[in-house]
Amino acid sequence: MKRRTVLQAALAGAAAVAVPHASRAQTPRKLSYLTWNIADQEQLFKEEFADFRSANPGVEIEWLDKKGPDLPAFYQTQLVAGTAPDVVDLQGAIWVEYAANGALLDLTPYLQKEPEVAKLFNPDYLASWQYKGKNYMLPFYIAKTLLYYNKSLFKEAGLSAPPQSFDELLNYAQKMAKGEKTGFLTLNFDWLYWPLFKMNGVELLTPDMKKAAFNTPQMTAILERLAKATDSGAINKISWTGRWVEPNGAFAGNTVGMLHAHSSSYFFVKGQGSWINDSTLGVAQVPGYWATPTNHGFGISKTTKNPDLAWAFLKHVTGTKWATRFSQSRKLLTGNIAADRAGLEYLRKDDPLGAQVLQTQLEHTDKFTGNWPLPFDAQLKDAFYPEIQNAVLGRKSAQAALTDAERSVNRVLSRNS
Amino acid sequence: MAVAPAVAYRLPRLARKRTRQALLVWCFLAPSLAIFLLYRIIPLLWNVALSFSDWSPLKTMRWAGLDQYEEMLHDDVFWQSLWNTLLFIASAPVGIVIALGLALLVSSEIRGRDVYRTIIFISYPLMTVAVAIIWRWLFDERVGLINYVARSLDLVDRPIQFLNSFVWALPSVIVANIWQMLGFYMIILLTGLQNIPPNLYEAAAIDGANAFRRFRRITLPLLKPSLFLCVVIGMLNSFTSFDLVYVMTGGGPGRATELLVTYIYKLGFSQTRFDYAAAVTIVFFVLLVAIAWVANRLSGGNAGAVEID
Repeated sequence: MKRRTVLQAALAGAAAVAVPHASRAQTPRKLSYLTWNIADQEQLFKEEFADFRSANPGVEIEWLDKKGPDLPAFYQTQLVAGTAPDVVDLQGAIWVEYAANGALLDLTPYLQKEPEVAKLFNPDYLASWQYKGKNYMLPFYIAKTLLYYNKSLFKEAGLSAPPQSFDELLNYAQKMAKGEKTGFLTLNFDWLYWPLFKMNGVELLTPDMKKAAFNTPQMTAILERLAKATDSGAINKISWTGRWVEPNGAFAGNTVGMLHAHSSSYFFVKGQGSWINDSTLGVAQVPGYWATPTNHGFGISKTTKNPDLAWAFLKHVTGTKWATRFSQSRKLLTGNIAADRAGLEYLRKDDPLGAQVLQTQLEHTDKFTGNWPLPFDAQLKDAFYPEIQNAVLGRKSAQAALTDAERSVNRVLSRNS
Repeated sequence: MAVAPAVAYRLPRLARKRTRQALLVWCFLAPSLAIFLLYRIIPLLWNVALSFSDWSPLKTMRWAGLDQYEEMLHDDVFWQSLWNTLLFIASAPVGIVIALGLALLVSSEIRGRDVYRTIIFISYPLMTVAVAIIWRWLFDERVGLINYVARSLDLVDRPIQFLNSFVWALPSVIVANIWQMLGFYMIILLTGLQNIPPNLYEAAAIDGANAFRRFRRITLPLLKPSLFLCVVIGMLNSFTSFDLVYVMTGGGPGRATELLVTYIYKLGFSQTRFDYAAAVTIVFFVLLVAIAWVANRLSGGNAGAVEID
């Protein structure tokens, strides 16, 4: 009797363990989906997933969102463990490292097989996800740098329109700098400051990307002028030291004439600056129309067991229907031409100034800069920028800083060659 | 010589008992040892192996010999981080001196001393991230309390960019670190002070020793073990102040507040250079062991020992 009870209990236990396995085995396909700092869109994503599941019965979607600095560390550990999420949202240049080291699936064959997919997207934004001629990502949402200007401070200084050249930019900044007021501020992470150099014809690297090319008399002169302007207060020092909150917060404080930042800054600045409306804030392209993109894109991990399903999911979330909903929900552009048209139309009624900001993101998209497709971009940034900081904040002469930066950059290039 | 039968019977029983006891001890120790092995020893050995390799999560491992260590010699950021770390460590005694002053104050017969003790101690149990956010706000250029007070009192014309200045950033972070540790130091020193027999002070006072002499001849010598404990803990804490620096300045401006520990993190998780990060970690570890050893020697060679009567 006792033995029978034990036997029954053992069988029941084994069944309890085996049943979920059996039911899992019956689930034919499962997709894991990793996004970057966009947990606020949970409701929209749930609807998207339900829509995808109705078209693909039996598919399970596991969604995970990670905060800013956590995602790269998380994704790397998952790659090492061989459990990388099937679909991943990546930002900036980090994807190049993954693509170059074989962690991402080459999407080119899919795009060639279904040419109508590529036609959905702005070609310049789509091309910004290419490495060595292969496309590894589809656009999720897009942003690039632009110039915001404080119309009231412009008027006070007798200025009527945004600057058209680097000289004008510095002169205007100088005119607005009085007491606590400063003339110009730029964001500095992810090469967002690079248009300031590019508009003066400076190149970071040689065309073959094997050597540093920036240590020129022209660059020295520009750095000296930037240092002088920073010292005089024409350029706000936070430009060179702050991250995201500090410079945007400073501009929202109504004491800075111009802000060189990406479109994502608009909603933050507007939220903090009660002075902001379409008669007090102007938006324009920087002189020369150069801009650094800071896009988010979707890629597929090479370790995926369901590449075709992941591709179908990618098409689903970046397709016109859901990209439109996302654009309207988050008030941003997605790179999907039809979705962005609809999103802008919606925003023109809801927030005309916001629509003006986003409109700049679709102009001069052939003039992207600061987005070199190098798998060691983070190392390059770390080798270059601290020396630029030293120069503009007067810690080193421009020439000494550039010489040191050149040595550091060349070391990174040779180490990774 | 033949062993008496009773003794011969007792010996194996005693041995069996000891074996059982030892087995029991090992059973209790096993989980801790397993965790220690898994999370300390194996990662440390793996780190050593990594420092002699060329590896990232996306590449296969390749033997690199001393390449990573050689690179360190030419790496300006490493030397800057090392220097900043040493400055950070050197700031620990400043906090201990302030804490000693506070401990003397709150151990004297003043009204509400328990309240003061609590107020001073309260900084220690706070999460370091919270401390960093509090001090970041205090040092803020636009809305920070320190700049507000300085400007209200006409001490400065323009707000000081504490955390964005090459000159002020490191001292500002050090101030926040000292503030957080102050409560801990004070409690340790207070315990030490309370262990000094009062009759020593009474005898010295009768002999005509003034307050300074009593402090120098009685308090300081008898407080030596507590002071050394504070020094050791303070130094080790300074070594690992990652969260404070990361939240307050991120290592900037430039490399002004970069510590070895923040640099190691950036090498690993921003630059995906786990191999080089491992080499810097080994240097960091050796330095940590050396400082702990020196501190232990200075405290008489038995710091952390438990005396069992």
